[in-house]
Amino acid sequence: MKKIILSLLASLALVGPAAASSEGPAWDKFPAGRVTDLAAVQNGAKLFANYCLNCHAAAFMRYNRLRDIGLTEEQIKDNLIFSGAKVGETMKTALDPKDAKDWFGGVPPDLTLIARSRSDSAKGTGADYVYTYLRSYYRDDTKATGWNNTVFPGVGMPNVLWELQGQQKPIYVEEKDPHDKTKTVHIFKGFEQIRPGTLSTADFNTATADLVAYLQWMAEPNQTSRVRLGVWVLIFLFGFTLVAWRLNAAYWKDIK
Amino acid sequence: MSGTTTGTVGTMAQAPDEGIDKSKRTWIAITCGTGVVGGAAVAVPFVSTFAPSERARAAGAPVQVDISGIKPGEKLTVEWRGKPVWIVRRTPEQLAALKKLDGQLADPTSDRKAYPTPGYAKNEHRSIKPEFFVGVGICSHLGCSPSDKFATGAQPSLPDDWAGGFLCPCHGSTFDMAGRVFKNKPAPDNLEVPPHMYLSDTTLVIGEDKKA
Amino acid sequence: MAEFKEAPAGSSALTQATVWLENRFPTAFDAYKVHMSEYYAPKNFNFWYFFGSLAMLVLVIQIVTGIFLVMHYKPDAAKAFESVEYIMRDVPWGWLVRYMHSTGASAFFIVVYLHMFRGMIYGSYKKPRELVWIFGCAIFLCLMAEAFMGYLLPWGQMSYWGAQVIINLFAAIPFVGEDLSLLIRGDYVVGDATLNRFFSFHVIAVPLVLLGLVVAHLLALHDVGSNNPDGVEIKAKKDANGKPLDGIPFHPYYTVHDIMGVGVFLMIFSAVLFLAPEGGGYFLEYNNFIPADPLKTPAHIAPVWYFTPYYSMLRAVTDDMVKVLTVIVGLGGVLAFLKGGLPGIWRVAPLAGAVVVAFLLNVFDAKFWGVVVMGLAVMILFPLPWFDRSPVKSLRYRPDWNKWLYAVFVINFLVLGYLGIKPPSAVGTYISQAGTLFYFGFFLLMPWWSRIGEFKAVPDRVTFHAH
Repeated sequence: MKKIILSLLASLALVGPAAASSEGPAWDKFPAGRVTDLAAVQNGAKLFANYCLNCHAAAFMRYNRLRDIGLTEEQIKDNLIFSGAKVGETMKTALDPKDAKDWFGGVPPDLTLIARSRSDSAKGTGADYVYTYLRSYYRDDTKATGWNNTVFPGVGMPNVLWELQGQQKPIYVEEKDPHDKTKTVHIFKGFEQIRPGTLSTADFNTATADLVAYLQWMAEPNQTSRVRLGVWVLIFLFGFTLVAWRLNAAYWKDIK
Repeated sequence: MSGTTTGTVGTMAQAPDEGIDKSKRTWIAITCGTGVVGGAAVAVPFVSTFAPSERARAAGAPVQVDISGIKPGEKLTVEWRGKPVWIVRRTPEQLAALKKLDGQLADPTSDRKAYPTPGYAKNEHRSIKPEFFVGVGICSHLGCSPSDKFATGAQPSLPDDWAGGFLCPCHGSTFDMAGRVFKNKPAPDNLEVPPHMYLSDTTLVIGEDKKA
Repeated sequence: MAEFKEAPAGSSALTQATVWLENRFPTAFDAYKVHMSEYYAPKNFNFWYFFGSLAMLVLVIQIVTGIFLVMHYKPDAAKAFESVEYIMRDVPWGWLVRYMHSTGASAFFIVVYLHMFRGMIYGSYKKPRELVWIFGCAIFLCLMAEAFMGYLLPWGQMSYWGAQVIINLFAAIPFVGEDLSLLIRGDYVVGDATLNRFFSFHVIAVPLVLLGLVVAHLLALHDVGSNNPDGVEIKAKKDANGKPLDGIPFHPYYTVHDIMGVGVFLMIFSAVLFLAPEGGGYFLEYNNFIPADPLKTPAHIAPVWYFTPYYSMLRAVTDDMVKVLTVIVGLGGVLAFLKGGLPGIWRVAPLAGAVVVAFLLNVFDAKFWGVVVMGLAVMILFPLPWFDRSPVKSLRYRPDWNKWLYAVFVINFLVLGYLGIKPPSAVGTYISQAGTLFYFGFFLLMPWWSRIGEFKAVPDRVTFHAH
């Protein structure tokens, strides 16, 4: 019986990783550890309040929760609340959904959970997605906003970070189609900077990483304390199981 | 539920009269102890879910009021924690009248403990600034909101020497211009003075005070 | 009152209180004896025997966490999603209660599948335990309904569209389908009406039925006594006092044993809950963090992982597959006619039945038959005690090739599950079709294959090695 179970498990390993159902370019990896860097997350909060809250809401996020990343209520009120909301209120946006439909073709989605909802087992975490998306804009005069995005073609959102990033151009390379040797396909190979922004590419990537770290934190503010508590719980349960095992042995030694 | 095995089952090899098995007892005790600790550790978060949520606490947050627009003799009502809070700008006559009423009041020095009066309001005018009275507009009898009766002199349901104050329409309790309840009325306590403080001469915060 | 027991003179307060209680509630004391201290269970239970008590533990976890969630959740289409985030962020420790409930739901199915597998490999469903098995299958069915309805409550994209798809399956039923779906939904599309009734069923109706079935399951088991990995009936060999020689009192031996099992289970459960509550997107699906949008279908809808084997079978029933099924039904009818051995006019009954089914297969849409196949895949578990004609209960004493067959059954079930998660593909469809045929063949052909081969001698007494 044991042999069968072992070979069963072995054959499961052959099933292998999920075949990539990937449409679109691969996502860059967001430096996941950044979410524990309070300075980065605070900077991200600032960027979020300045660049995102004009159109997007984060309706499940209370301003005073930002105390968890090391800000005082004074700091929150003075630097991050532009709408006159009280510090205990949630991050709403002033943009009217009707205006949004007129100007952008759709209502900007709520961003509280964006880092959790966009994950894809084949492609990466939601944070990877947003990190890649924000850095994948390029100029496109055929679009109403003047911008297009390789990760989300035809997106209605303009490139709000353009001043920081500058302008870039996507580079496509012709390659043979792996399925049909007679055809060629455009393969996206990366971006080329055509006009600099106020930040260098490296600094812009860092700033975007900070913003995404904030989004990642905002999607589940408890995440770090959850893991920490979990470690203690597991240690306790390990001890409990050890004790229960000895209790079991104390009784079963009598059974012949 | 015994901690020992009594040898009625044929398959157990236990010598008769071996007495209590110490190892079983020890391990039962340790397991139970650990289990109780674990159980308490689980119970605490679950019971905590009963506490007011962040949403409730945000809704109950302190309220800032601009009192510069209140004229002498006027009252402003604001909402705090779902309750009406009155800010009354008293005239010098109303303030002077307060001293003479002590004998008619149930608790003239605000000593009763049911709605403890904060230290900064344990004075003659029951407030931080003599001019401004800040009190919760809910009668201490059964919770109705008393009506303003600032005019002096005889009026229906009020004594002939009425010096101004509040009359509760539900059961007739009366309060003076410092929210103190008159004797022999259904209401037992003075009007509650909520925690409050001044951020400036014109800005009052209700719900928070300096002595945290 | 004449039959009242007397506490011995000078006995402690506790003893006197116990005697007082026993005089007035002897049922409780008898029940303790019957089900715990004098319930003689086989001493050779192994790893596979933990999952029954674990299933009960998870049921308790789900009920308790459910009670606390309902204190804050709002069953209103406009407020449901927001109320779940309220629990996650604003309610003190709400996140813990939510994660316990979501992890518990997946844990329930893992535990129950393993519990059912134990029944299959040791022949625990065979006489006299058929009814225990039937109650168990009913519990499984209720559990699937409970999970399905619970999943709508967070009102995310997956909740909404998953419900939409599954309820539309009922619409596939000929003649009554559309009206039935309308009745289930309470509206023309999944909406607030649907949410409210699913809430009622999930919170109170189905849990009550589940509790009743669990009680029945346990009472029926205790009436006939537990099976064991050797399939030996321990009641056949009793000692002078009438106690089974290979039996030990459930309490304290198995209470203590199960506590150890609980410890290990809680470690795994907590590891998932605290370190990876999303379960790689399988326990908490990513799309469900987006509020339900009736106007926008997600690119890829799949049911939650525990339903995917059955979902695979549903998708496998294409028009081509219906043709294959027609042939199989026809062959089955002919075989039953020639070899069925039914008396007189009843000989033609299976053939006639096969003709009718073959006809209907080609009248109604493949979509409907997909639903039927999916339903039958669950229902086919009920008559398992009658399919199995093996002279021996436990896999241990069956021919070796049986072990490989069961291994293939498990792999097949897992592969079907994996394919159910993925979007349909040509290769995937072929494999699912083969897998579906294997699944049904395993059960329907069991009356024959379970009798083939050399069976080993079943011992008189259980095989047990002292701890």
